[in-house]
Amino acid sequence: MFFLQQLINGLTQGMIYALMAIGFSVIYGVVGLVSFVHGEVIMLGAFTGFLMISFLGTNLLFALIVGFIVTWILGMLVDSLAYRPFKDAPREIPLIMTIGLSIFLRSLTQVILGTQQRVIPSIFEGKYFVIGDIRITYIQIIIAVIVIALSLALQQFLYRTRTGLSLRAVSMDKDAAALVGVNVSKTIRTGYSLGCALGGVSGVLLGIYYNSVHPVMGASASMKAFASTVFGGLTSIPGAAIGGIVLGIAENLGVGYLHSGFRDIIAFVIIIAILLIRPSGIMGRKEGGKV
Amino acid sequence: MREFFRKNKKILLIASIVLAFILPLFVDNSYYMRVLVNVLIYILLASSLNVINGYSGQFNIGHAGFYCVGAYTAAILATRFGLSLWLLLPLSGLAAALFSMFLGLPTLRLKGIFLAITTLGFSEIIRLTVLNWTSLTRGPMGIPGIPFPKLFSYQITNNTQFYYIILFIVLLMLFITKRILNSRIGRAWIAIREDELAARSMGVETFKYKLLNFAYGTFWAGVAGCFYAFFTSYVSADSFILDEGFSILGMVIVGGQGTLLGPVIGATFLTILPELVRSIAEYRLVIFGAAIVITMLVRPQGIAGSKMLSQKLGRSTKKKVTKNKGGDSNVSTS
Repeated sequence: MFFLQQLINGLTQGMIYALMAIGFSVIYGVVGLVSFVHGEVIMLGAFTGFLMISFLGTNLLFALIVGFIVTWILGMLVDSLAYRPFKDAPREIPLIMTIGLSIFLRSLTQVILGTQQRVIPSIFEGKYFVIGDIRITYIQIIIAVIVIALSLALQQFLYRTRTGLSLRAVSMDKDAAALVGVNVSKTIRTGYSLGCALGGVSGVLLGIYYNSVHPVMGASASMKAFASTVFGGLTSIPGAAIGGIVLGIAENLGVGYLHSGFRDIIAFVIIIAILLIRPSGIMGRKEGGKV
Repeated sequence: MREFFRKNKKILLIASIVLAFILPLFVDNSYYMRVLVNVLIYILLASSLNVINGYSGQFNIGHAGFYCVGAYTAAILATRFGLSLWLLLPLSGLAAALFSMFLGLPTLRLKGIFLAITTLGFSEIIRLTVLNWTSLTRGPMGIPGIPFPKLFSYQITNNTQFYYIILFIVLLMLFITKRILNSRIGRAWIAIREDELAARSMGVETFKYKLLNFAYGTFWAGVAGCFYAFFTSYVSADSFILDEGFSILGMVIVGGQGTLLGPVIGATFLTILPELVRSIAEYRLVIFGAAIVITMLVRPQGIAGSKMLSQKLGRSTKKKVTKNKGGDSNVSTS
């Protein structure tokens, strides 16, 4: 029963990781670069959720929507600072820009909101279902519903709309997409903002799942997103989702059976193992060398 | 301006070394001396990272991990077995280099961001291991009470004496690096950076040279860690978080990659800048992040950088390969 309980907890956590990783994967697909600012986007999403729920007393749905919008705007800002000016510059420069922005945003949040951990009042006061000996809290169900709904919405968006089509075109080949009349820089902005907004929503969920937010949570969150995305192969969205869930389960089993200090190590062990065994990830297409 | 620097390179070099040696005479404040020692530690770290990132084009962002290995090797051996600073400097360097071999053997085949993520993960694994292996490293409590080093029978205690030690190490490192870069090995590194495939087809054993490059760069990070342990006489895992690695990377980038002078300028600039605005101390990292962002917007190749790395990292392959000036840029210390 202990095993099943850990599995359920891991699955929920994995769902949140999956959402982070999907955002990350959308960004990597469209921009072709890893974004180091993703962790801070998640953190700011979590803080938006915290401010909405704790101070304004809004409900969860509204907090999620505001988190989505705020991080979308943040994504647009990051795009105009870090990617748009460096279209033809060496690839390393936007990468460093995102590192600089990440340090900047994290420390600014610490200065403005303080370095202490903030507590989000628990929603539904920890009510749960009991099935056999397993507890499933309401929050876990809500997280699962939201993540699955968002993934399906993203799927529909990418395959049913014109913007989705241009996003997919740009992620395959920027030059060819430009040749057939896709506005590449506008599409990159949309894709980047979309990835950030998904990260923001996952931040809100992360905050309410743990009942707490703090300014340095971004670093570990972005590593989880990294690990999940690498596991699935950087550009594959289903791969990223699977990677997130596998990571969540592996972490919870690791913590349950070994030691709580292992929680953060597991992500890195997965990264390194996957890179050594199958560098393109379980569902990635064969490519490499992109910075 | 540029012409002036080029013509009077030797004079400027000697002048700056002399300046570095007589600087403590004008600084009678122990706190300022401490800042200067920190500047030199970061120069050593940034220069050693530059050997890896700037000269062989491998993107290492987990340099803090190797710094950590060096610091903990020194701290553990000094407190348990009473080894001296002078023995531990090379030993810690070797320990860091050994760890880099351990990481590099399986992973140096990876390219670009994949290698970057692996180094990042490695750095974090080291830190978390240090934090959790309580029997060896005392975990979150850190290791205090590392004894002050001795030179012959003379006890080294104040910051000025530490300043001369680290100044000597930095000059030694820059001198050796300059010599290596002008040798066959250095040329091979630069060839790998510019075009790995071409280098291999010219008969350069790329893997061997990349491994050597990694080991050499991390060796000096280990040395810096050892010095840091003795200088602060206390190490804890908090000093080696990812931000530390990012800061070192930021110094290399802001100063300019692939030149010997660049990391020196970058480290000096980014260590002294936050100290100047000490009254708003909590803004230190804000300023740090902003400095990186602004440098990238205004001068992407870094303060001292020439337009390099264009072939390797540029999106367009049509760009001309600019002539490499890395090997003969001048060396200077602050």
